[in-house]
Amino acid sequence: MYRHLQDWNDGADDLNYGQGVIIAARWILVMAGLMLAFWNPGEIAELRFQIVLVLGLSVANFYLHSQVLMGKRSIPAVVLGASAADIAVISLIVATQGGFASNLYVFYFPALLALSVTFRTEVAVAFAAVTVAVYAGIASFALPADDGQVLVTRLLILAAVAICGNMYWRIERDRRQAAAKVMEDLNPVVREEVAVA
Amino acid sequence: MRETRTSAQEAAEDVFFGQAVMIWARWFLIAGSLILALWTVDRVAQVVIGTLPIVGLMAMNFYLHGRYLAGRPANPVLIGMASVLDLAAITIVVLLWPGHRGLESQFFVMYYPIVLAFAFVMPRKAAIAYTVAALGAYTGACVIGGISSFTGPDGTSVDMGSLEVLVMRLITLAAMGGLGTYYWRIQRNRRRSATDGTSVVQADPVGA
Repeated sequence: MYRHLQDWNDGADDLNYGQGVIIAARWILVMAGLMLAFWNPGEIAELRFQIVLVLGLSVANFYLHSQVLMGKRSIPAVVLGASAADIAVISLIVATQGGFASNLYVFYFPALLALSVTFRTEVAVAFAAVTVAVYAGIASFALPADDGQVLVTRLLILAAVAICGNMYWRIERDRRQAAAKVMEDLNPVVREEVAVA
Repeated sequence: MRETRTSAQEAAEDVFFGQAVMIWARWFLIAGSLILALWTVDRVAQVVIGTLPIVGLMAMNFYLHGRYLAGRPANPVLIGMASVLDLAAITIVVLLWPGHRGLESQFFVMYYPIVLAFAFVMPRKAAIAYTVAALGAYTGACVIGGISSFTGPDGTSVDMGSLEVLVMRLITLAAMGGLGTYYWRIQRNRRRSATDGTSVVQADPVGA
């Protein structure tokens, strides 16, 4: 299924370059998550849960980072799975901290940004829609009666980050293709001129 | 083949092509602000006062979007001024909105798409300056608008929970600016490699 979503020939380069952004975003999540877990710790069980999740994420990110540093090409299924795991980890932590009341939902923003500049539009839209739906579901459980509009605004801005990210991805793809086309058209002319000279 | 375009031309093209992202980020800012402005207050005067800056932002964005659609996008100075106005509008609302001010204001989420769009389009130094300005503006608004949020029950000690929330928001906001400008740099290198026929993957695997 992932081959259908992320065509290898067309999207492999995007995946390679975008994975750098995903990895950087995940390191930010790991460092911030650890810092915040130790800063103002809650119940011991909750703290254990957070530490295990964040350290697990850091080990997975180290593996992915080492693959990139060694110049190995990204495997779409691995990148997709790791990105889904990011969203799942943030959602789990938000859910265990009271859903709507948790302030940790802001970590969805860098995660969604990284996804939106890495994957093709169909995949990015699917990821963003699932993320927004998952957060809507988690936050709706303990939503105060008069805070519906606050939740709607949060969901709107989450979608906005993903849409802006992927819009930029498309603009840059078109610019790159146009630049490559110009060079492709120009090369035979230059060769011909050189041969004549 | 040697690159014939200058950095200035390249930056102008970045603004030319990229400002659609900024325009759409501003439409989301307007939509989100409108939802909060219309449904979080219950007095007519508050709705009117809250809607006025949104109308101003809409007028500005109609102008910029119109120019973009007409094939005459705004120049970097105009774009920069509009972005500073966005920042000022969000900060004023965070600072002064009745009921929930400073750290308790939910308007802070509007900073995210605005900072991201700016980092995607503008050169790195400008993006860093804008992100730092956003961080400073939000911190200032939280301190001035809701100093009581940071004090404990005795009124003098610092409430670590509130400070933690502020730091969390600042980290993620800085991440938007940082990751945006990082990706901008990756794309610039890819574009350059597309015109000289080389790949930057081997030389620079993560676009650093």
